[in-house]
Amino acid sequence: MFRYVLGRVGQAVLVLWAAYTVTFVILYLLPSDPVALQLSANNIEVDSLTQAQREQAAARLGLDRPVWEQYLSLLLAALRGDFGTSFAKGLPVSELLAQRLPGTVTLSIIAIGLSLVFGTALAVFATWLPKGPAATFLRRVPAAGVSVPNFWIGLLLIQVFAFTLGWLPATGDTGPQSLVLPAVTMAIPTSAVLAQVLVRSFDDTLSEPYIATARAKGLSRWAVQLRHAFRNAALPTLTILGLLVGATVTGSIVVETVFSRNGVGRLAQESVLAQDIPVVQAIVVIAAAAFVVVNLVVDLLYPLLDPRIAHTPKVSRA
Amino acid sequence: MTTHRYRTPALGALAAASVLALVGCAGANTGATGTASAGTPVAGGALTVEFWPDNAAFSCVDPFQTYWIEHRQVIRNVADSLTDQDPETGEIVPWLATDWTVSDDGLTYTFDLRDDVTFSDGTAFTAQSVVTALDNDAQTLADVPGAYGGVYIAGYASSNAVDEHTVEVHFTTPNAAFLQGTSTTNLAILAAASYEKTPEERCLGDVIGSGPFTLDSYKPGEGIDLTKREGYAWASELNAHQGEAYLDSVHINYVAEDSVRVGDLTSGASDIAWPRNPFTPEDAALLTSSGATIESRALPGPSYAFYPNVTDGHPLSDPLVRDALQKAIDRETYAATIYGPDYPVVEGAFDSTTPFFVSEADKLAYDPDGAAELLNEAGWTLEDGATYRTKDGQTLTIVEPITAESPGDVLLQDQLKQIGIQLELTVFQASERASIIANGNYDLIATYYTRADPGVLQWILDDRYSGSKALAANAQSAETAQQIKDLFDQGLEETDFSARADVYAQLQDLLIDEGVSFPVFERVQQAATASDVHGFRFTSESFLSYYDIWKDAS
Repeated sequence: MFRYVLGRVGQAVLVLWAAYTVTFVILYLLPSDPVALQLSANNIEVDSLTQAQREQAAARLGLDRPVWEQYLSLLLAALRGDFGTSFAKGLPVSELLAQRLPGTVTLSIIAIGLSLVFGTALAVFATWLPKGPAATFLRRVPAAGVSVPNFWIGLLLIQVFAFTLGWLPATGDTGPQSLVLPAVTMAIPTSAVLAQVLVRSFDDTLSEPYIATARAKGLSRWAVQLRHAFRNAALPTLTILGLLVGATVTGSIVVETVFSRNGVGRLAQESVLAQDIPVVQAIVVIAAAAFVVVNLVVDLLYPLLDPRIAHTPKVSRA
Repeated sequence: MTTHRYRTPALGALAAASVLALVGCAGANTGATGTASAGTPVAGGALTVEFWPDNAAFSCVDPFQTYWIEHRQVIRNVADSLTDQDPETGEIVPWLATDWTVSDDGLTYTFDLRDDVTFSDGTAFTAQSVVTALDNDAQTLADVPGAYGGVYIAGYASSNAVDEHTVEVHFTTPNAAFLQGTSTTNLAILAAASYEKTPEERCLGDVIGSGPFTLDSYKPGEGIDLTKREGYAWASELNAHQGEAYLDSVHINYVAEDSVRVGDLTSGASDIAWPRNPFTPEDAALLTSSGATIESRALPGPSYAFYPNVTDGHPLSDPLVRDALQKAIDRETYAATIYGPDYPVVEGAFDSTTPFFVSEADKLAYDPDGAAELLNEAGWTLEDGATYRTKDGQTLTIVEPITAESPGDVLLQDQLKQIGIQLELTVFQASERASIIANGNYDLIATYYTRADPGVLQWILDDRYSGSKALAANAQSAETAQQIKDLFDQGLEETDFSARADVYAQLQDLLIDEGVSFPVFERVQQAATASDVHGFRFTSESFLSYYDIWKDAS
């Protein structure tokens, strides 16, 4: 077990390094440099500066050194937790993230919690119902939830609960009530995915012989569903849950834009547009780290839920 | 670009990208309505203003450095300037300076200053404050190449305090637009303490001014808080009242979605909605039906216009083709279709609120037959059954680089197609703009500036000052470029109002006659105010002054 965890941590470090490096390379391969972009936003093209001014502008952003030197010094600083200073916002990246990260993390955790509750409830109920129009309808709901665009759901919720009913604020990050609409918006597509997978694995599990045995013992439908089928059916869902954590990072871009929340999703979008390399690097690393950690936790949870699965170093599992 | 009620993140990103390249646009779809100022002003209350998203590329509220219209608007309410500019007449009137003289050679400006002004940190405003401010502005320009305020202090040499309340400003070359420059937010005077900070610290809110409000906090992307300055007593004569501001505080929120901004206003969550692009006709109808008032005013400076590439090998190098293009654009239909039936039609190289504006409407009339005739004369003929004109086997193709396709681009494409010109829209990343211009890979490129002085066009067309040397060089023949430069110089040297008006009238004629500027639409700033908000006033730069605003007692 110890060797397994060690190997996984080693993999995680490799993934983080790769994410960091690929981001750096992509940002450097973009057709223009950040200096030109910053000037361009100011209606000044880089060709109108003298060579000395151009060098000075590049030096301000630390872009006057050779690329490999920039990469190495950025990487070494990043290892110490220092991601440098944002080109566009003039703040240390760590400070910027300290401002922006808590709101997004809170929102993501609540959204994932809601997805679990909605997704599980929907799947359990849809598979518990006897065959009929109601069961068919509930089984189709997740497909709709996945297909409807996120921003549209957000705007619809705002229209109803903020503008018409006036129950909840439409914008900002002003307390628990301002989290409700964004979290629900974010949870709808993710819970739909969860429900879809869970319905499918309930179907598989419920046709297993041991379920027939449980029913034959005279257990109620609920007892069979929850006590016997759920634990086995939940395993694939756990894998999906790991992936959904990644989805909340991209989901937060949309939700934070619609609800005017000042979080990491918006920061990522703005920074990519402004070619603000240090900020994009830091966000990618953090997102990758969250993703890696959650997937590691999920993998370690498997044997607890299903003792048949044991980790051995020779066998790799998703 | 029009407003999108339901904007996907991709569209939002593209919109932001287009703004980065300053090829965004503005306009309005409803007529201006009068300011509702019924009743006696009531002091007190908090005002909530919602802006479109904050500048993602440059978080900065330092007066000298920022170019972002919304930042400049906030600064207008926090920091005062030496002079103010009358939005109606363009006339420069006293503010922190009570009087001024310009030497005959145009190289020295002498300002007499008010003696009763203090900054919000308690320090007194003196001649030395002006010297400190201007010297630091020049230093900021040296530290941060391309800082926006550089536009206003071209040729600045030094300044010195003659006595406690008289200051002299010296230039190495005449700069007649400096006087107007002193009325802008970019040359606002800050307290000495602000200049002890770095340019970055000032950007993030270390800004102490003498204005009617103080800046409590600037949270990039999130909002700005202002509090009323107690004891304020030096408003310019252009305001409706004197003394302290009516409002206790102003809260600014950045709201990305247009529909959310509109909904917040109609549901009472905000008092003023301030979009960059004009309201859609649907939003405007929703706003007015909720009792809100829509205010609008053209932004002064060059209109939203195309600048051509007239270098050899490009179709627009032929003056006949440029004349034909000018006639082929149906500006009335453009304004009515893209921005609504009441939207003003552009009438010249400048927006109508620019001082010295001259209407060139007769030269910009839609004339498809005339355009076709000119193109035939130029050798670009239409074969039977062909859509586009050809000459020696070449199709008449005009390339316009854009960051995101807007309905306006497509409409223009269709208008030009009707007379056989192929308008090719090539989508590029904002970051590619410089290289596209430098390499001349275009025939038309759009840009604009907001400043209430025609001299600002130098920053597009005069290669001694322009933001892009290549754009300026490509846009005009060497001969025309010299004529235009001479007119800019005369405009800056003439301090006599009517002589300047004459020079700028010649300039505006030349820009259209020679096909240097192809105006497309008038840029209009709109704002919606809730029914209990009164005293709305646009400044000469079409920013919002919060000073006269008051709300009904609730």
